[in-house]
Amino acid sequence: MTATEKWYEKSGEQGDVVISSRIRLARNLKNYPFPHLLSVQQKTEIAMKVKEALEQSNSYIAKEFQFISMSELSAAQTGSLMERHIISPEFANDRKGKYLLLTKDETVSIMINEEDHLRIQVLTEGLSLEKAYETADKIDTLLDNALGFAFHDKLGYLTQCPTNIGTGLRASVMLHLPSLQSSKVVERLKDNLSKIGLTLRGTFGEGTQALGGMYQLSNQVTLGISEETAIENLKSVAMQIIENERSVRSQFCKRTETQDYIMRCLGTLKYAVLMSNQESMKLLSAVRMGINEKLIEEDIAKVTKLMIILQPYTLIKNAEKELSPTQRDLLRAEMLKEALNQ
Amino acid sequence: MLCELCGKHQATTYSKTIINGEYTEMYLCSECAKAKGIGINNIFSQTATDFSSFLGSFFGGGLPSRTSATRCKSCGSAFTDIARSGKVGCAECYSNFYEELLPSIQKIHGNIQHRGKIPTGASAEVKRKRDIEKTKRELEQAVKEENFELAVKLRDKIKEMEGGGNHDSN
Repeated sequence: MTATEKWYEKSGEQGDVVISSRIRLARNLKNYPFPHLLSVQQKTEIAMKVKEALEQSNSYIAKEFQFISMSELSAAQTGSLMERHIISPEFANDRKGKYLLLTKDETVSIMINEEDHLRIQVLTEGLSLEKAYETADKIDTLLDNALGFAFHDKLGYLTQCPTNIGTGLRASVMLHLPSLQSSKVVERLKDNLSKIGLTLRGTFGEGTQALGGMYQLSNQVTLGISEETAIENLKSVAMQIIENERSVRSQFCKRTETQDYIMRCLGTLKYAVLMSNQESMKLLSAVRMGINEKLIEEDIAKVTKLMIILQPYTLIKNAEKELSPTQRDLLRAEMLKEALNQ
Repeated sequence: MLCELCGKHQATTYSKTIINGEYTEMYLCSECAKAKGIGINNIFSQTATDFSSFLGSFFGGGLPSRTSATRCKSCGSAFTDIARSGKVGCAECYSNFYEELLPSIQKIHGNIQHRGKIPTGASAEVKRKRDIEKTKRELEQAVKEENFELAVKLRDKIKEMEGGGNHDSN
C-alpha cells in the first residue's frame, strides 16, 4: 500500500499549514516551434520522442511512468487529474495532441504539449521544495541528454511565454490559510508579495478561488535568479506566512465563538445527508484548523485526503459511473459520515 | 468546481453582487457568466501576467520599423504576430527578435542574464563564464569575511580561469 501512497494521503513537514510543495520546469525541444504552432501530428511525434527517451534511459524512475493520451480520457478522468493538481486547468482543455507521463504514486508528471513542449512537475507532501526540485532536476537532465532542450546563453531555457524564460522554474507551496483568509490579511499580503516577485493565488492558480482557504504561493521571476535562490526565497517567505497563520489561528481558536463554529462544522460533516463540494470544502477547512489547534482529535492527513477526493470529478471517477449533482452530494455526505464517524 | 447555475461546466468566474442590500456570491462557468453579462472582462483585468496585452501596450503604436517585415527564419513568425498574440513562435525567435524582446524581458524579470542551471550540452564557454562569475562571488564573500588567505587563492584561480579562456579562443 505504501508504495502507491499519494502525496495527499500523507502529512509532511509544516503539515499543519503546508499541504504540498510543487516544482514545475518548462522545457522545449530545439527543433520544433512551440506547441501553439504545431500540428497534432507533430505534437504526437514529440510525445513519442519523450516517451522513448524515458524508456531508453536506465533510470529507475523511468519504469514508474505510465503514458497517457489525454484525448482518450473521459471528462471525469481529466477533471480529476486537475482536481488532484496533476495537470493544469489549461491542459484539461482541447486535449488533442496532449499527452501525460505520470508515475504511479502521482508524484511526478510530465505534461506534453501544454503551453510548452514539456512541463516537468514534481508534487510532494508538506514543505519539501528542495526534495521536489532534486527529483525534477534529475528528470530534466535525463531528458535533456536524450532530447536537447532549447537554451540561450543569456536568456536560459526558452519558453513560449517570456514570463517563464531563464530557469523555467515555478516553485509553489499549497498553503492552508483559513485564519488569514477570514481576517482578510490575505488581500494585503498579496500586494506585498508581488513587490518581491512572488504571488499568492487561488487553489487552482490564476483567477481561481481559494476554496477551503487553500492558496498557492509561487515565484514569478525566472530570469536572473538561480533555482536554489528562488526556492530559498520562496521557502523563507512561506515560513513567515506559516508563522503568521499559526499565531492568528491560536488566538482565533481561543474564542468560544470560534470553537463553537468549528464543532458545528464537524457536526454538519458527520450528520448531513446532502453535501455540496463548496460546503464540504468550507467545513473541512474549519475542521482541519480545529485538529491543528487540538480542539478535535482526528488524523490531519485524512481531512486533507477528503478535501481532494470529494471534489466533483474525482468523485465521479472513483464511483466509475455518471452521477447527477444530487447523487454526488448524497455520496459525498455518505463518505464524510463514514470517514469521520469511525 | 462546477458552475452553480447549470451544474455542468467547470466554474471559472466568481461573482459577488449586492442587490437591494442582499449579498449573494456565485461560482459560474464562462457560458453562464456571459449570459448573465458578468465575468470575462473582470477576470482579464485582474491578471497581471496577461502577456498579450502587456507586450502590445509596451510597444504601443510605434513598433520598430524593421520588425513588421522581418520574419523568423525558423518558424515564420513576424514580431507583430508575437506582440499581438503574446506568444513567441519558437526558440529561434528569441535570437531573431532579441533586441525587440529585450525591453519586455527586462520589464518582466528586472534582469536579462540567466543565472540558473546550464544544460550538459551547452557550450564550454558559457560554463567557463559561469564558473568565473561564481568564483568572483566567492571572492567577494571571502573579502567580506576578511578571510584573506582564501581571497588570495580565489583571486589566483580567477586569473587562471580568465587566462585559460583566452588561450582557448586564440
